[in-house]
Amino acid sequence: MTANEWLAIAPFLIVSGLAIGIVIIDLIWPRRKGLVMVAAVVGLLAAMAVTVAAGPLPGGGSLPASGQAVFGGVYVRDQLTVFLDLLFMSIALLTIMFAPDYLEPRGLPIAEFTATLLFAISGAMLLGAGRDLLILFLGLELLVLPGYMLAGFAKRDGLSVEGAIKYFLLGSFSSAILLFGLAFVFGYTGTTNVSEIGQHLGNIAGGFEPLPVALGLGLALITAGAGFKIAAVPFHYWTPDAYQGSPTPVTGYLSVGPKVAAFALALRLFVEMLGPLADDWWVLVAVLAVLTMTLGNLAALGQDNIKRMLAYSSIAHTGYIMVGLAVYGGTTSTEVQDTAIQGVLFYLAAYSFMNLGAFACVAALQRRPGVTSQVSTFAGLGVRAPLLGVAMTLFMLSLIGIPPTAGFFGKMLIVVSAVEGGGWFVLLAVILMINATAAAFYYLRVVVTMYMRPAPGSAKPVTFGGWTKAGLVIAATAVVVIGLVPPITQGMLDWTMQAARTLIGA
Amino acid sequence: MIGLAGIPILSLIILTPLVGALLLAFIPGQNLRAIRWTALGIALVAFVLSLVAVLGFDASQPVQPDGSIYQFAEQQPWIPFFGINYQLGMDGISLLLVVLTTTLTWISILASFTPVQSRVKEYMISFLVLEVGMLGVFLALDMFLFYIFWEIVLVPMYLIIGIWGGANRIYATIKFVLYTLVGSLLMLVAILATAFSYQAATGSWDNAFNIQKLVEAGFDPTLQFWAFLAFFLAFAIKVPMFPFHTWLPDAHVEAPTAGSVILAGVLLKLGGYGFLRFALPLFPDAARDLGPLIVVLSLIAIIYGAIVAIVQPDLKKLVAYSSVSHMGFVTLGIFVFQEQGMQGAIMQMINHGIITGALFLCVGVIYERTHDRTIAKMGGLASRTPVYAAVFGFFMMASIGLPGLAGFVGEFLVFLGTFAVSPVAAAIAVLVIIFGAVYLLWMFQRVIFGEVSDFLKGLGHHLTDMTPVEVLTLAPLAALTLIIGIYPALVLDFIQVPVDVILDQLQAGASVGLLK
Repeated sequence: MTANEWLAIAPFLIVSGLAIGIVIIDLIWPRRKGLVMVAAVVGLLAAMAVTVAAGPLPGGGSLPASGQAVFGGVYVRDQLTVFLDLLFMSIALLTIMFAPDYLEPRGLPIAEFTATLLFAISGAMLLGAGRDLLILFLGLELLVLPGYMLAGFAKRDGLSVEGAIKYFLLGSFSSAILLFGLAFVFGYTGTTNVSEIGQHLGNIAGGFEPLPVALGLGLALITAGAGFKIAAVPFHYWTPDAYQGSPTPVTGYLSVGPKVAAFALALRLFVEMLGPLADDWWVLVAVLAVLTMTLGNLAALGQDNIKRMLAYSSIAHTGYIMVGLAVYGGTTSTEVQDTAIQGVLFYLAAYSFMNLGAFACVAALQRRPGVTSQVSTFAGLGVRAPLLGVAMTLFMLSLIGIPPTAGFFGKMLIVVSAVEGGGWFVLLAVILMINATAAAFYYLRVVVTMYMRPAPGSAKPVTFGGWTKAGLVIAATAVVVIGLVPPITQGMLDWTMQAARTLIGA
Repeated sequence: MIGLAGIPILSLIILTPLVGALLLAFIPGQNLRAIRWTALGIALVAFVLSLVAVLGFDASQPVQPDGSIYQFAEQQPWIPFFGINYQLGMDGISLLLVVLTTTLTWISILASFTPVQSRVKEYMISFLVLEVGMLGVFLALDMFLFYIFWEIVLVPMYLIIGIWGGANRIYATIKFVLYTLVGSLLMLVAILATAFSYQAATGSWDNAFNIQKLVEAGFDPTLQFWAFLAFFLAFAIKVPMFPFHTWLPDAHVEAPTAGSVILAGVLLKLGGYGFLRFALPLFPDAARDLGPLIVVLSLIAIIYGAIVAIVQPDLKKLVAYSSVSHMGFVTLGIFVFQEQGMQGAIMQMINHGIITGALFLCVGVIYERTHDRTIAKMGGLASRTPVYAAVFGFFMMASIGLPGLAGFVGEFLVFLGTFAVSPVAAAIAVLVIIFGAVYLLWMFQRVIFGEVSDFLKGLGHHLTDMTPVEVLTLAPLAALTLIIGIYPALVLDFIQVPVDVILDQLQAGASVGLLK
C-alpha cells in the first residue's frame, strides 16, 4: 500500500482504534470517567485533524482532489467522504460530551457507552467511503448493531429495553430487505461495485420499457429498506418508541448519526448506483417525502413528551431532505441536480448540530434522575437556567428555519433546488414551507413553556457539568455561525457544492 | 441638506440598536435604572441618526448613477454563491417610515418604564432587536436581506406579547407567529423563484436578489401571478387585510401597551411598504390584474372593521378593529394605481402609525390605573382626569379624520384618488366617516363624559391624572399630528418622486422585460 492509501484509511483506523483503545483503557483503569472522556475527545480531535490534513477539501489536502481509491476501489476517500467523516466525528464528539451528565447519575458506565458509540461511528465512516455493495452493507451493520445496544443501554429500564427490541427487530428486517434488494441489482448487473452498476444500468437505460421485474423488485426493496433506515413514512414506526425509550444522549445520537449515515447510503445507492433509473424512482421518493413531512409534523403536534415530539419532528426533517433527493431524480439539468444534493448535504450538517443540541438540552435537564420527558418540565427554564434556555431557543428557531440560523439555509437550499426544478417541484416546495409553519407551532411551544410559564414551586435548580456546557456552546455556535458569518456560510456552500459534484460526477 | 458622503449612515442607524442590545446584555439584571436609561439612550441615538439622515437627504430625489432613486446606497457582498448582497438604500418612503420607527421606539421604551417591572433587561433587548428588524426591512434593497429582517421582526414581537402580555397571551402570540409565518415562508419560495428565473435568464446569480435589477428585468405572466399571490399573502396578513386580520385583535389585546404601539405603529406598515417596494414594481401585470379584487377586499376591511369596532366592549379591541378599517385605506390607496391615491396611502401609513400609536398609549394610561379596559366600567373621566380627557379627545378626533389634523389628509387623498378611478368605490369608502364617528364618539362619550362610574369611584385616589412621563410620550405625537395636519407638504414632498417612480414601473411593466 502506498502512503496515500494509508492516509486515505487513516481516519477510519484512528476512530475504530480509539474505540478498541477505550475498551482497553477501561480494562486497565476501570471507572475513570475523566480519563475516558479526555482520551475520546483528544482522539476524535486528532482524527478530525488528520482528516482535514489528508483532504481532499476544496482548499487542498494532501490527497488528490479527485479522490484516493484503496483496496482496488472498494473504498474511496473523496470530498464527499471528507465532508461526511467530519460530520460523523462532530456528532460523536458532541454526543460524548453530552453523555456523562445523564449517564453518571444513573450509574450507567461511560467507557462502554463511548466505545460502543465510536464503533457505530466507524461504521458510519465506512458507509461514507464505501464504493462496493459489500463494504456498504458491512458499514451499515457496523453502524446499526452498536445502535441497538445503545438503545437498550439502560438495561433495567423497561422502556429502554422495549425500544431497543423494537429498534432491533425492525432494523434487522429492514437490513434484510435492503440486502435482498441489493441482491436483485447484483443479479441483474453481475457486479457489486457501485459505479460499475451505475454504468451498466446507464448503458442499457434506454432499453427499460417497461422496467424488468427483477430490477423493479430490487428498486422497490432498496427503497423500502432505505426508507426504514432514514425513518421515512410509512417505514417510521420504530422511531418514536426507540427514541422515547433510549437514554436521552443516545436518543440524540440516534436522531442524527444513523440518519445522516442512512442518507449517505441513500445518496450512494440512489444517485450513483440507481441514478440511471431516476425516472422510475423520483415520483415515489417525492410522494414519500410529502407523506413523511406531513405525517411527521401532524404526529409531532400532538406530543406532550418532548422526546417523542423530537422523534416525530425528525421524521418531518427526513421528509424535507427527501425533497432534495426527489428533485435530483426528477430533473435533467446538472446544475439543478448539484443544488439539490448540495441542499441535502447542507441540511444534514445543519440538522445534526441543531437536533443534537436540542437533545443535549433535554439531557442536561434530566441530569437529576426522575425528571420526566414531559414538555412541562421545561417550565420557567429560561429563568432557572439562562444558558440552557437561550441555547434551546436557538435550536428550536433553527429547527423551524428562522433566519439567519443554519437550519434556515438548509431549508433554503432545498427550496432553491425545488424551485429551480420547476413544475411540480414548486408545489413540493410550497408543501415543505407549509409544513415548516406547522412545525413552528410545536417548536415554539417549547419556547413558550420555557419563557412564558412559571416554574413549578417544587422546581430544583438546574445544574450541569462543564462537558455539557462546552458541547452546548459548540453546537449553538455552529448553528449561528454557519448562517451568520459570511465567509463560513460561503465556505459551507462551496464545500457542499464540491462534495455534491463529486457524487454526481462519479 | 448636509453632506454625508462616505458615512454609512444607514448601517449606523441599523447597527445602533443592535450594538445597544448587546451592550444591555452585559448590564446586571438587577440594575433596572441603568437598563432602562441605557435602552432609552440607545433608542434616542438611533432617532437622532435617523434625523441626520433626513437632513442629509436630497428631497428632490434625483436619479442616482445606478438608475434608481435610492440615496445613501451601501453594498457589500454577503453570500456571493447566490449573488446575495448586504445592500441598503433609502428613498422618500423608507425615509419617512424609518423616522416613524425610530420615533415610536424611543416613545415605546419610555412608556414602558413604569408598566414593565418584570424581566426588564430581556424586554429592552427584545425591543431593540425588534427595532433592528423593522429598520432593516425598510432599508434593505436585496430581497434576501429583506426577508431576513422580515423574519427577525417576528421573534422579539413573539416574546414581547408572550412574556409581558395579558392573560391570554400565549394563544395570541402563537396565533400571531403562525399567521405571519404562513405568509412569509411562501413569500420566501416566491423570492427564490424570482431570483432563480433571473439567474436562468442571465446565466449567473450576480444581482439575482437585487431589487432594482429584478424590477428592470421583468417576469413572465405565470411567474408574476403566483409570485404576486405569495407576496400578497405575506403582506396582506401583515397589514392585515380582511379576511386575514383575525390575528390582530388578539395580538393587540394581549400585547403590553408599548408592544401594541409598535405593532400598530410600525409592524402593520411593513405590509404596506412591502406592496409598494416589492409586490407592485416586481409583478406589475399581476398587480394590475388582481388590483380590483384587492380594492374590494380593502373596501370590505374599511367598512367591516368600523362596524365591528362599534360593538367592542374592550377599549383596546376597539382601537384594534379601527386599525383594520384604517389600514384598509392604505391598501385601497395603493391598489387604485393612481397618484393621489398612492400618496394618500403612504400618508395614511404615517398618520395611522402616529395616531393609533398614541391611542394605544392613551388606553395604556387608563389601564395602568384601573387594570381594566372594559368600556362599560368607565365613565366621567373628564371630571377626574381632565388632562387625560383632553389628550385622548385630541387623538380620537384625529383618528376620526377631523380636518386640520393628520388623519384627515391621508384619507382625503385616498378618497380623491379612488374617486378618480371608481366613484362607486369612493362612495362606499366615504361611508366609513359615519361609522368612524359612531364608534369613536360613542366610546369617548361612555368613557370620558357622564357620571363617574362606581368602578372608578372605587379606585379612590389611585385614579390620578397623567404623569409627566406619560405627557412626554404623547406630546411629540400630538405635535406631529397637528403639524402634518396643517402642513401635509412636509410628508408629501418626500413621497412625490417615489410614487411617480412606482407608477411608472407599473405602467412600464408590460413593455420591457427580458424574461418574458
